[in-house]
Amino acid sequence: MAVPWSRCWRSGAGTAVLLDWCRGFSTRAFKVSGRRTPCSTAAPQPATARMKVLLRQGPVFNFNRPMTIARHRDRCLYTTPRVGCSICNDAKLKDPFSLAQKDLQNLYEDIKKQLLVSKAELKALCDYYFDGKGKAFRPMIVILMARACNVHSNKEGVLLPAQRSIAMISEMIHTASLVHDDVIDDSGTRRGKNTINKVWGERKAILAGDFILSVASMALARIGNNTVVSVLSQVIEDLVRGEFMQLGSKENENERFKHYLEKTFKKTASLIANSCKAVSILVNSDPEVHEIAYQYGRNVGIAFQLVDDILDFTSCANLLGKPSAADLKLGLATGPVLFACQQFPELHAMIMRRFSSDGDVDRAWQYVLKSDGVEQTNYLAQHYCQEAIRQIRRLRPSTERDALIQLTELVLRRDK
Amino acid sequence: MAWRSRLSYIGWRHLSIFSNPSPSNWTKVVSDAEKIVGYPTSFMSLRCLLSDELSNVAMHVRKLVGTKHPLLNTARGFVYDSRNNLQMRGLIVLLMSKAAGPCPSTSDPIHDSMVSGIYPSQRNLAEITELIHTAFLVHRGIVNLKEWTNSDGPLKDMQFGNKMAVLSGDFLLANACTGLAQLNDTKVVELISSAIGDVVQGIYHESSTSAEEGSLTVASWEDQTFLSHGALLAKSCQAAMKLARHGNEAQNLAFLYGKHLALGHKLNSDLQPFVKSGSEPAVFSLDSAPVVFHRQIVGPERWRHQLKQVQNMARQIDYTKLRGLIKTERGVSQALDLCSYHGNKALEAMKCFPSSEARSALENMACAVTKF
Repeated sequence: MAVPWSRCWRSGAGTAVLLDWCRGFSTRAFKVSGRRTPCSTAAPQPATARMKVLLRQGPVFNFNRPMTIARHRDRCLYTTPRVGCSICNDAKLKDPFSLAQKDLQNLYEDIKKQLLVSKAELKALCDYYFDGKGKAFRPMIVILMARACNVHSNKEGVLLPAQRSIAMISEMIHTASLVHDDVIDDSGTRRGKNTINKVWGERKAILAGDFILSVASMALARIGNNTVVSVLSQVIEDLVRGEFMQLGSKENENERFKHYLEKTFKKTASLIANSCKAVSILVNSDPEVHEIAYQYGRNVGIAFQLVDDILDFTSCANLLGKPSAADLKLGLATGPVLFACQQFPELHAMIMRRFSSDGDVDRAWQYVLKSDGVEQTNYLAQHYCQEAIRQIRRLRPSTERDALIQLTELVLRRDK
Repeated sequence: MAWRSRLSYIGWRHLSIFSNPSPSNWTKVVSDAEKIVGYPTSFMSLRCLLSDELSNVAMHVRKLVGTKHPLLNTARGFVYDSRNNLQMRGLIVLLMSKAAGPCPSTSDPIHDSMVSGIYPSQRNLAEITELIHTAFLVHRGIVNLKEWTNSDGPLKDMQFGNKMAVLSGDFLLANACTGLAQLNDTKVVELISSAIGDVVQGIYHESSTSAEEGSLTVASWEDQTFLSHGALLAKSCQAAMKLARHGNEAQNLAFLYGKHLALGHKLNSDLQPFVKSGSEPAVFSLDSAPVVFHRQIVGPERWRHQLKQVQNMARQIDYTKLRGLIKTERGVSQALDLCSYHGNKALEAMKCFPSSEARSALENMACAVTKF
């Protein structure tokens, strides 16, 4: 055998973990029984090709799930699909951003109105990132999801005020976590501006983040729905736990992938998934609809972060609004590095010491570019997007639903 | 230099948070009260303390030993003072719950769930109150890196300390949020969230008024101290009433008790350096009540002059001298008066509650803050 069995198994197992995650469940049983055959018989393939094979194989998708559930899951939740409403119909297709535009008008103004403080300086800190220059990516998804769920629930053309509040709250929670992250990472710039901590100091930055969070929490409570409060409180816990997960690295490669994806879910996808779930709860009592909304948000969220991690390697310094290879400099091993490590085991030691030795960052960067880590991460992101599409298709067709499908393309193709 | 004065200020503040007003009396009142609420108060839930996240922080905090990061002091406070003041807020919420008694409508399904006269939701609330309070003790100790100079030690240590402080504070707040959600009462969630906002505003104010030139008047001192020290307790007491479906009147009285007790307690600890006899070196904040009162009495001009008088070449303040100057005016006695005013107001708020052990314990606490 050209490649030692153990290496073959290790890299294969890494991919299997990723696939598990992609589908939202994990299993050990399949990994052991199903992996050995391709590795021990076939000549070693390039990592990407190997992964593609894994992805294409039918059984990989449904391997650990009783067929009935699988079929049930794939079934549409609507009974009379309208003709001619496929996503290929360009005439009907609207750009997600412009579709949500109307509902998002004054979003930042409304957020600023909520942030009532007597002290002018604290007000300035709180308003700092609500300057309308953000992408409002989360509120957009939330609005589209809300309207798609409303159509599904026979409430076409309606957006509930509480659903719009969720859009605002999602942006506020996101911003509060950015402010704290910048202190934790000691970042100097964000969205082309100096960070709050650089302008006003760390102490005040933390307080501003806490304040935004308290206001978001009040707005959430005012919606008056206990389930919605629970769903979004989970996000706050996930954000912190995700940040804690970033402190440690795993020795074992398998665990490292799992750890990375779990962290990615907690730090990025949980907010999107649970906000989507919240707007579905507000209009529909069917748990399956909540699950669709949640799974769409979860998959798109993870894909979004994977692309973000790719851009950290491929984008020029000023496009993303933060310097490239920022993650490496912070000691973080993201998707591209983890995949590259399968081809270049030399990276292992660097990952473990969190790229802290002289020249580590540069060397790791070179390895990543030489490997197909970026390509594979991208492939994984595509996969999460496909799963997101599969989920959202189970809702009754609507312009908003199709915009959410199209949005996955934008997530994959964005360059900043 | 600026940093040094800030550091001593932070050090002092922690002292004031953890030190007991007139130790013997207060400790007795608190330990008597703890017996009334059922089981020994350990509100910092085990779930939180035993979590991977906090044990991770504990491990990392060890690296900070020998540095000057305030997180160390805060962590030390948890160990040494956890018997008394750290859990005072939770204890008061429990006593208040017990004093108010069961929900007025006996047909209510929550009726049977009481343990030692307190509903489980009220116990959770007491724990949440402690979590929030502790989270802000930790976040108060974030260091501004710009003010740090090489002579204060390696910058890296401070960055690391900040990272730990942000994360552990956020972790406690996040747990408070999920705990709140489990109370299943959105009005209570709103109330306690607004208390979090109040605390932030109060602390923000604390860190932005420059002590030397400060324009802090007595009235604004009270407003600000309510935000930073009173709002959480007042609103938690109110929320405890809400959880047992007590009416607006009971909610309002509970709020008032919490508010006045907290203000009285703060005045008491601010006054300690001025009423203690003995030769121990005095350190106090220039924002503490007696100093603020004094400043208003003498006016900004004379205050600046007096400050210069007590500063040495390196602009360090001789606190013993300053204390002497302050004691010649009426600042201290005015602060003492205000302290008894708040203690009495807290007592008054308890009058309408039916008499019980719990009510007496709350009354004893209100009396204890006025004793020196």
